[in-house]
Amino acid sequence: MTSSTVPASQSPAGAPSGKPLGSASVRQLGSRIPRSTWPLIAFVVLFVIGGLIRPNLITIDSLVGTATFAIILAIASFGQTIAVIQAGIDLSVPNTIAFSALAFLGLVAPFGPVGAFAAALLTGAVIGLLNGVVISKLGLTPIVTTIAMNGLLFGAILLVFNFSELTAIPESLLAITSAKISLLGVETAAVLPLGLVLMGVLQLVLSFTGWGRSLFVVGSAAEVARLGGLPVDRIRIGGYVLSGVLAAFAGVVIVGYYQQASATMGASYLLSSVAAVVVGGASIFGGRGSVVGTVGGALVLAQVSTLVAVLNLGANIQQLIYGVIILLVISLYGRRNSA
Amino acid sequence: MSVAAPARILRSARIPRSAGITRLRREGAIAPITAFVVFFLVYVIINPELLTRFQLQTAANLVVPLALVALGQLLIVLVGGIDISIGAIMSLCNVVFATQLEIVPVPVAILLAVGVGLACGLFNGLLVAYGGLPAIAVTLASAFIFGSIAREVLDRPGGGITKAIYLATSGELLPYLPVSLVWLSVVAVLLWLLLQRTALGRHIYGVGSNMESVRAAGLNARLTKLLAFGLSGMITSVGAMMLAASTVTGDPRSGDAYLLSSIAAVALAGAAFTGGRGSIIGTVLAACTLGLIGNLLFFAGINSYWQYVISALIIFVVVGLPVVWGRITFALKGRRS
Repeated sequence: MTSSTVPASQSPAGAPSGKPLGSASVRQLGSRIPRSTWPLIAFVVLFVIGGLIRPNLITIDSLVGTATFAIILAIASFGQTIAVIQAGIDLSVPNTIAFSALAFLGLVAPFGPVGAFAAALLTGAVIGLLNGVVISKLGLTPIVTTIAMNGLLFGAILLVFNFSELTAIPESLLAITSAKISLLGVETAAVLPLGLVLMGVLQLVLSFTGWGRSLFVVGSAAEVARLGGLPVDRIRIGGYVLSGVLAAFAGVVIVGYYQQASATMGASYLLSSVAAVVVGGASIFGGRGSVVGTVGGALVLAQVSTLVAVLNLGANIQQLIYGVIILLVISLYGRRNSA
Repeated sequence: MSVAAPARILRSARIPRSAGITRLRREGAIAPITAFVVFFLVYVIINPELLTRFQLQTAANLVVPLALVALGQLLIVLVGGIDISIGAIMSLCNVVFATQLEIVPVPVAILLAVGVGLACGLFNGLLVAYGGLPAIAVTLASAFIFGSIAREVLDRPGGGITKAIYLATSGELLPYLPVSLVWLSVVAVLLWLLLQRTALGRHIYGVGSNMESVRAAGLNARLTKLLAFGLSGMITSVGAMMLAASTVTGDPRSGDAYLLSSIAAVALAGAAFTGGRGSIIGTVLAACTLGLIGNLLFFAGINSYWQYVISALIIFVVVGLPVVWGRITFALKGRRS
């Protein structure tokens, strides 16, 4: 029993020694590929498998359809990615989405689309600020804090908004989300390039700014970061503010794309946003993750739902496969690296 | 007996007076118990009718499923995990119970539902304890899996729950004594005996508070974790059956709402999410508080949508206040309290 209880990760050097040389070098090569590309490779494999089953699936239109579905999930999961990277989690994403979407619709009439958009993002920032302050200053766990915040927002949504009035969606929002545009000769919904640009900007911020890098440090070793003189609380609060703003942005995008809003419009993103982040290769313990990976994770999940729809297996099987994929991904690299 | 049972826990804990209070304090139960007493007094002042037979029964049926699921969540939290799939386990047991009642005798249906709960718990437990995977990620995956199986078993509300089953779980045993409270007390007392009076129970607390020490002491930490998950699944299935019976229907989405509220109840009970700290009585009373806020507002003539806001504020205050209080005393006395 003594030998079997030692986690595999505690013997890093011992593992490849018994294997043939070729396998070790392949593994070495594999470890050099950034983690965020794995979900993209998995997506391509799934896309090809789909093509083998139904050859008419290998078309640009099919790809764009899946990618559009994926980018909406990805946009809703960007905030979650930031929260997970800094060793937190944001379970207030669903009702942040709903609250900001409804706030946007409610404020369009008095303030115009731009004012309403700014106000919606501001509500997200305030929600994130409250989450961050409670977590880092009061020391409540992120799960509990954001669940309580999610409940509080649900109450606020039901109390504040008059749903029957919130039906008019401004043209300018439609133009950047659901409107069809032609990009390099490919017909696509405007939300796809919007999401990709957002992904690019966020990835640059995470990879190349000091603040972005500090999120990873706080996520992987908060105590070390504190001893190293980083303002951990401030970085963490900033992370939650960004997470809230991104969830609010997702709310506005979702209301623009689906052209309807309700109190429970964010509910399905509670688990699926975390799923996209996990499938995208982020560590649930923090310190590892990327928005490119999250887009890859969302693409994998979206391609599964395309395949399930084409094969007529039903929505239940889709959920089952999501679960199996998450299990596969975490068993590949979900183990805690240090005990 | 229902009222006597939790009271007995308190009394027996109080016999060595300081020790009992110390234990409740160490388990973080003082704040939720106080919150419940305050809440209960306010409730009875606003709505003395609570103590009538019908209302007592309705209120009990409302909170008992939540209290049971919260106890299931508490077990996982005690071993340092968290169960995202608990709502899906509840939905699955709920529909298994409701559909099997149409085919097999009642005791078999109960056994099947408990068995399914146990199997779900062991599935999670095996992956967490022996697979070395993080509980939050494993249960996220199994939330999708169990939820999809639940909708495969029964895709819309239905099932064969009869009036007799309703009366056996949600009626009255004696005047002023709802049966559901009796069942809750039985489960809570058994669980309390298990946690406080058996080696397994002490190991569960031990695994959560210090995994390494438990392992160094030669105890089987993995088996303990596995058993905690299995036990949690069984308790959740009892909650699922109580819910199915009190609503007289099986519903594949009935458990969804209990995911967040079970975690909220455990948080309000003062349990530590790093594991090793949390009390049964605190969890049951926290679930009662959270479950009855909507009712209280209704009787107070306040828009019941406020219940979501007030629940959240209660959690922030009850969980956050000890931290702030600790900071203040630390600042005043200049030492850790």
